[in-house]
Amino acid sequence: MFRLCVATVFLLGSILVAQEKPQPPAPHPYPPQSKEPPGPPASELDNKHREAKVPSLNVPEQDARAAVNSFITWASASDVRQREEVRRMIAASRENKPVSAALCEEAFQAREKDHSRAVVVLSLLGEMRSETGGECLGRFLHLPFPEKGTVIDGEIVEQTALGTLQAKAVDGLAYLHSRSGDEAVLWAVSKHPSRIVRAEAIEAYLWNHNYSAEARSVLESRVRENERIFLDRVHRDPAEPAESFNQKLAEYLKEHPEAVAPQPTHAKQKRRPQDDSDQPPSR
Amino acid sequence: MATKRVALAVGLLLVSSTIVAAAVCDQTRTSQAERDLWNTHGCWQAFFLWQYQAYDMRQGEWTGRGWEDACNQNMEYPKHWNASYLLTYGLADTWQFSFHGTIDYRGTAERWDNNYHDDIYHTPSDRTDIFGAWVYHFFGSNEVQTACPLYDPNVAPNANPGSRGGDFMHEGWHGWMDKYNWNNGSCAGHRCGPTGNCTVSNCDYFYFHGIGAYAFGAMWENDGTANRFHSPNQVQVEYLCDVSDFPQWWVPASVRQSAQVDANQRASQRFINGPGYFCGSPRPW
Repeated sequence: MFRLCVATVFLLGSILVAQEKPQPPAPHPYPPQSKEPPGPPASELDNKHREAKVPSLNVPEQDARAAVNSFITWASASDVRQREEVRRMIAASRENKPVSAALCEEAFQAREKDHSRAVVVLSLLGEMRSETGGECLGRFLHLPFPEKGTVIDGEIVEQTALGTLQAKAVDGLAYLHSRSGDEAVLWAVSKHPSRIVRAEAIEAYLWNHNYSAEARSVLESRVRENERIFLDRVHRDPAEPAESFNQKLAEYLKEHPEAVAPQPTHAKQKRRPQDDSDQPPSR
Repeated sequence: MATKRVALAVGLLLVSSTIVAAAVCDQTRTSQAERDLWNTHGCWQAFFLWQYQAYDMRQGEWTGRGWEDACNQNMEYPKHWNASYLLTYGLADTWQFSFHGTIDYRGTAERWDNNYHDDIYHTPSDRTDIFGAWVYHFFGSNEVQTACPLYDPNVAPNANPGSRGGDFMHEGWHGWMDKYNWNNGSCAGHRCGPTGNCTVSNCDYFYFHGIGAYAFGAMWENDGTANRFHSPNQVQVEYLCDVSDFPQWWVPASVRQSAQVDANQRASQRFINGPGYFCGSPRPW
């Protein structure tokens, strides 16, 4: 009887202690499983990727569609070190109208089924800087903007999807450095229904005109009154050193005190943090 | 009171153990960015066998979503660990350039009680009206839900590994807000919008900071003022910027470009005192 009482007290005590500080559950007895055998290590896949043959775009007209599809798939998977190679290859196809036409066709098709592929295709078309590509990007920019759709966090996701792709088209139009390209970008700055596209158009126009005073003056006459702050937006250029970026940010906040956030407020009493994280396997 | 809590906990446990989730999101397709990232690691079992524990993912919630088929990249659980792979290994962590380090992003995403949040666990959601949610639980770990638009490329452009990891940051940062008891507003943990330069319904402030302002591992720090503070959307944007601009060399172009697109649209639309930083170059490639 005494043993039973002790055991009961111990059990109840354990439950109460466990309540005071909930413990992370132990690993699940039924871990996830794969129907496939384990693959090769990442280092082997890296080598395979590096050794993959680069698809040629220099093909007969009737093979252009297939060649472009292979090229897009390769470029999409290309790594950081292959950036210049992609640029060189797409620039070399500038005058190849069947290639730019096939890229254009794929941009419109991918838009319907795979946003990430559409981003890649529009990037390639923009980098190409061809007349046919520019005409295609212009048509893409003027695709009808949806007015209804699925609302997430107060945004219509179909608008965000198309807006982000049209913003990518704007990048290509600005990169043409042509009169017609600039006109399309400036139209987008003031007239496009999406803020995503207007904001990208402002940044792309400034970047492609080396942030000149003249370019800023042109934009000042086009930009919407409540979006003038986008003219001064802080740009995180990947090649820019921290000192320069930090100075630019400080100047921006001095010039735009309204961009300084107000002090945060507490909801309730503060609690004490602790750290006990674990490590993944080495790659 | 304690007895009531125990009874309630046992009751909830029994109820939850009888529920078997059934996915309704499309699990037959995957995006280009998903496939490209997947091809950098393939069916790496040691990683997903670590990942499900590090993110406290439970069979009951992920059954029918790839738990039994963890290398089928069309399904939600493999997509979840694909995003974790990018978050765990995909950043270059260059202190001269990156906003924050992997240690910060992992601390925000992973389960363990740490400087970034109390214990969390990750679940899927079939909702199509949210990207994700952070759910407070009186008992045990808090919950990070990730929903259809982060998995199904038919539903939203966010069905890519960068954006999904960005949402781990966003929801995880609600956990940070809770841990340190900050009030970020009454609209799903945000300021109600549209307001100021925010054009959506769930808005945040952007607490601008320079590069190097936070040592790697110090993103959780705050000094009680706006000088040293982050909001959920800001942490998300900074993660996406770091994926786009300062990744490991092997991160595929499609993953980087999708991250840049998401960072910049979010920075343009979601901040009351926005816009946030413009990330990357407007050069097309």
